Amino acid sequence: MMFPTLRRPPEWLLLLMPAFFVIAAVILMPLVFSLYSSFTPYRLTKPDTLWKWIGTANYQKILTDGKFWAAFGRTILFLTIVLNLELLLGLAIALMISRVTRGQRTLRTILMFPMMFSPILVGFQFKFIFNDNIGLVNNALQSLGFTNAAAPWLVDAKLAMFSIMFAEIWMSTSIFAVLLLAGLFAMPQDPLEAAKVDGCTPWQSFRHITLPFLTPFIFIALTIRSLDVARAYDVVQIMTGGGPARRTELVWTLMSRTGYVDARMGIANAMGYVSILLSILFTLYFFRKLSAARAAIGMSD
Amino acid sequence: MTAARAREKTRAERTHRRRRLALRLLHFAGLFVTMCVICLPGLWIVLNSFRPSVEILAKPPDWTPSFTLEHYRAMFGGAGEGGVPVFRYFRNSLVISLSSTVIAILIGMSGGYAFARYRFRAKNAYFVGLMLFRAVPGVALSLPLFIIFARVGIIDTHFGLILVYVAMNVPFTIWLTDGFFRQIPRELREAAEIDGCTKWQAFWRVEFPTARAGVASAAIFAFLTSWNEFALASQLTRSAESKTLPVGLLDFTAEFTINWGGMCALAVLMIVPALVLTFLVQKHLISGLTFGGVKG
Amino acid sequence: MTAVTLSGIVKRYGGLLAVAGVSLDIRDGEFVVLVGPSGCGKSTTLRMIAGLEEISEGEVLIGDRVVNALPPRERNVSMVFQNYALYPHMTVRENLGFSLKIAGADAATVAAAVDDAAAILALGDLLERRPAQLSGGQRQRVAMGRAIVRRPDVFLFDEPLSNLDAKLRSQMRVEIKKLHQKFGSTVVYVTHDQVEAMTLADRIVLMRDGVVVQVGTPLELFDFPADAFVATFIGSPPMNLVDGVVGEGDGGGEVIFADSSRLPVPVSARGGVSAGRRVLFGFRADSLMPRGHSVREEGDVVSLRLAVNLTEPLGTETLLFTEVGGAEVQGKMFNPRPVVAGEVLDFCLLLDRCHLFDAETSAAIRV
Repeated sequence: MMFPTLRRPPEWLLLLMPAFFVIAAVILMPLVFSLYSSFTPYRLTKPDTLWKWIGTANYQKILTDGKFWAAFGRTILFLTIVLNLELLLGLAIALMISRVTRGQRTLRTILMFPMMFSPILVGFQFKFIFNDNIGLVNNALQSLGFTNAAAPWLVDAKLAMFSIMFAEIWMSTSIFAVLLLAGLFAMPQDPLEAAKVDGCTPWQSFRHITLPFLTPFIFIALTIRSLDVARAYDVVQIMTGGGPARRTELVWTLMSRTGYVDARMGIANAMGYVSILLSILFTLYFFRKLSAARAAIGMSD
Repeated sequence: MTAARAREKTRAERTHRRRRLALRLLHFAGLFVTMCVICLPGLWIVLNSFRPSVEILAKPPDWTPSFTLEHYRAMFGGAGEGGVPVFRYFRNSLVISLSSTVIAILIGMSGGYAFARYRFRAKNAYFVGLMLFRAVPGVALSLPLFIIFARVGIIDTHFGLILVYVAMNVPFTIWLTDGFFRQIPRELREAAEIDGCTKWQAFWRVEFPTARAGVASAAIFAFLTSWNEFALASQLTRSAESKTLPVGLLDFTAEFTINWGGMCALAVLMIVPALVLTFLVQKHLISGLTFGGVKG
Repeated sequence: MTAVTLSGIVKRYGGLLAVAGVSLDIRDGEFVVLVGPSGCGKSTTLRMIAGLEEISEGEVLIGDRVVNALPPRERNVSMVFQNYALYPHMTVRENLGFSLKIAGADAATVAAAVDDAAAILALGDLLERRPAQLSGGQRQRVAMGRAIVRRPDVFLFDEPLSNLDAKLRSQMRVEIKKLHQKFGSTVVYVTHDQVEAMTLADRIVLMRDGVVVQVGTPLELFDFPADAFVATFIGSPPMNLVDGVVGEGDGGGEVIFADSSRLPVPVSARGGVSAGRRVLFGFRADSLMPRGHSVREEGDVVSLRLAVNLTEPLGTETLLFTEVGGAEVQGKMFNPRPVVAGEVLDFCLLLDRCHLFDAETSAAIRV
């Protein structure tokens, strides 16, 4: 007689089970729900609308909506500029600190300072600092006699974009610098010395030895960073709320306004899905790069 | 050596020395500016929490230093002026962050251990898949959670927020603990098993104590994430019963005015615990981040 | 009585066959060394005895218990790991006492056993230190101390000396041997170093590609290698092997080499080979000696006049590199005198200590 063998699930699965379970309950299920509701005209004020299937109408609506595309494009632009600058600045800071001989620990500690700030705190902090009336920047400019006018840091379209980018970069450059610094410390010294002997200029050693070695660390930083690019929502929401007059509107602020202020949950969820896809694509891309880079310098086991 | 050649040599040396000096100055200046940019905003907040409101709002700006505890007094005075129940918020934040951290660490450690110690098919896919859930933007998640939590009746409760933070922290805890457990040689566990431990004992008596520092830093990371989170908390909490400090910060803003001094004082209250905790574990935090995550 | 019996054990990793059916009877108190090149399955075999790897097929018996399904802790074995695997968060004392504590022994028993082990291994001064504060040699001793504290039925060693420098290694070798004499427990010891195998083992198990090639005492393996692989693996320098073909000749035939020089068939294979068979003619360096600098010149000996290409003086003897049958071989000069490259010497080759292997199967040909 044959019985189907009832095997105990493997240990790794048992160990991962709680994680799967809690994530399924708190993230996956709501996501399924929001996927469904993105195909309905659901409004918080009219609960019955949840049961009305309207197909892809919401998606069609946002994909033909100029305001959405403006916010989407602005978000991509924002992320591109911000991530690149953070990487470059982080690399520069890491290189500078790695060459310090005394007080390095202190500098590294200070470097981690912005990492522990709540994004909303960063938002308020820079809202305060860039305030056109009583902010530190304008006060300083005026007191030092550069100008008498109050620069509209958070009102002018270009200046406001600059301000929120500044806040975002201030908040997130640290993670790059800290991780790249760890990479620099982990780097073996003999290849660098060999390169020197082989006649490399400092720039050449950096380009051909240091940078390839740092690549996996760069992608670790980019991956970790891409996990919460949406943190920018907190900062922008507080500093400008997407305004004035949508001049700093990002996908996230638009979505939040559509959902909570206008109570149009269906369409907000459709936007949510676009933003989720955006985040996931970013993360996946960097993860792949990370694996490749690790394999390239033999870090994988 | 002729005199001309000697002169040439000293000239070359001099330019070399000059260039080195210039580089050092540049290096120093770069570091100085960087550190200023990093420190000044925080310092500005701290300073302003001790400045009287009149002075903060003074126009033209008043740079003379003065000192007052009015904002702190108002803040800790509870429902006094402004009526922001800071103590309640602080307690809510603490309860929610601590419990979600403990639970997330237990769940995440178990998952991280699975990734560090077991071989199974499609391991990387599982790993990346879990991380992608961390990538879901809080705002996007808050929309359906808001509706579901309202239905289930756990909106505006500690429990609801704890649940959310556990789910949010588990993936990253897995990443970190995976890295820490990977750094512990497998033989350690095997030696313990040969020494007579059960698998359970081998973990708690040998592997866990060895990874303790790492687990602690993963815990602090989880704690900070919960402590600082705003996007979800701002939608899932409403009353003083469950509002956390980041949401409480909004209480200082009215329609058109902001109580800057009070806000700065609350900001200081928020940042101090985070500051202390981070400095305690900075070293391990970095090693965990760089070690874990998709390998092999 | 704790004999260890392996009967037909197999280890598969997916489609990969790491250990392909090993059978072995290890007697109580015997010191058995598993030796072989890396990837031959020796460590996997040891780990299956320890219970750290599941056994895909076959049975392992410790004493008269089949232990296949038992976790390591129920096998009463102790193991010394290649990287020592000391618990970094415990002091040396805690490391040593850990297994007894886990077993529920009371504090006094633990303390006594730890002090005892510490005395044997001279660890007395190190007891309060942590592993990070110890040198490589000290860590090694602690790892051994941890193994002996429990008085296990079987000691397992997994390349325990490979992380030590040459001098420490030979010291520890002596120490391990002393410990074995003192306790008389069964030992299974894995190494890739044939010197360790020769010096430590009661019996050597030589493995390759997951199977046992030969089992025997060190001298059996040295003097009667089962095949050419054993002959080159055991002994230093490795046995000289020269390609040849068996030809007709007086008194049992001869072997003709590529350069058409020839040597008589060795004593051990005389009458066992027919003409035309392709063979490897093998002899160790100390069977090829210059006359006047040899251990023996009478008996079944062939004389050869050979030019020396290179010398390696080792003090009590000098290695001479020369050519036999078109292949580079090494000979040995005892009570050496200086020799210059190019010098031609009269050598004697001890035919009764030469070997013949089949060129296809590489198995030894003996009658």
